[in-house]
Amino acid sequence: MEVQTPLRKPLALVFCDIAGFTHLMAQEGDLVASALLREFYERAGRLGREHHSLMVKFFGDGFLAAFERVDDVMPFVISVESLLSENPTFVGRSLGFKFSLHYGDVLYIETSYGNDVLGEEVNIAGHLNDLAQPHEIVISQAALERMPSNYQARAGASESRQFKRVGDVEFRRVSLLGS
Amino acid sequence: MAASNAEPMPEVVTEAIVVIDLVESTLTSNLFGWYAVGRQVIRDLRALIGEVGESRGLRCLRSTGDGYLLTFHDPQSAERAALHAVEAVFELLNRVTHRNREVPEERALNLRCAVHLGEVDIVSNDREGPHVSLAFRLEEISRASLPAALNPIPPEQFPLQNYVLCSEEVAGILSRRASPWEMVSIGLLKLKGFPGWREVFLVLPEDHPVDLGMGMRVS
Repeated sequence: MEVQTPLRKPLALVFCDIAGFTHLMAQEGDLVASALLREFYERAGRLGREHHSLMVKFFGDGFLAAFERVDDVMPFVISVESLLSENPTFVGRSLGFKFSLHYGDVLYIETSYGNDVLGEEVNIAGHLNDLAQPHEIVISQAALERMPSNYQARAGASESRQFKRVGDVEFRRVSLLGS
Repeated sequence: MAASNAEPMPEVVTEAIVVIDLVESTLTSNLFGWYAVGRQVIRDLRALIGEVGESRGLRCLRSTGDGYLLTFHDPQSAERAALHAVEAVFELLNRVTHRNREVPEERALNLRCAVHLGEVDIVSNDREGPHVSLAFRLEEISRASLPAALNPIPPEQFPLQNYVLCSEEVAGILSRRASPWEMVSIGLLKLKGFPGWREVFLVLPEDHPVDLGMGMRVS
């Protein structure tokens, strides 16, 4: 098998986390929770491929997806969000998706466990996800500037947060309710 | 039975919390017998911990079945307790290495160690609180955890045994206090029950020759 050379390139990095998953596990048990995760992985993975993601990496109750084109991100995010209202596994459960989006130079590499992205920009996207509310995407200024104008117009007020080794990162929130 | 409301609140202190796990202890006991091998191995570990901890502020030593929960305290400085804890763990690993050369293979001690610092509730020869849970979460991290981490080191480069992991808090202290140990970020991980991403560090012994690839060194 030919090994890919690590490639440094600018990518749009999307994080998603399921809010309410721990509560669901406590209320409905491990079997329901694992069935829901399987469905989530399967659907989100498929949606990622449909929307031209380079990779989707799953962890616990969330994922990281990388895109070469920022324009592909929001259609992907909206289609994942719509699982909550359209997919029988999710409908009627008190779950919400929290998203974040950042854009920056990362190292795109092939590893023993699949493709991955490395670099400080990945950590930024991950930390931004901690700030998101359910049914919301937190978008860094670096990503927002590259997004279509209709999404820029929907973004809330500018906020900033300091991250270790990075400093202040400016971001905005976009609600996904009614998308 | 519900705890009485009149029960006094436990004393709260900041201590360095160490979780030590004996690698494959159940397997060893099943294969070679608890009374023949397992019991002596865990007793040897307890004795070694006592030896290395005594002069370094070891305050709590509680069995977790296949390992121990320890805490270290320094009345003058909580940060120094973390330094003593790391020092004790490396001294323990040194002694374990020497011991393993002297005993048959089935009696060898191989350890996974994790160090964290935080406020704990003191309960009779035990400790409680979220920082204790976090130390246990750190100890559970293995090579298999890395594919789910952000910016992980290559899993093949994560040791299988006889290593020390520490939390961001402890890594910060080791770095600030110019400790002799080098630290390598193994990545940001989600620890069950704790919100957000947490950076976890592998503490390398002095003059450690290992090259951990893309790991981020902080000292």
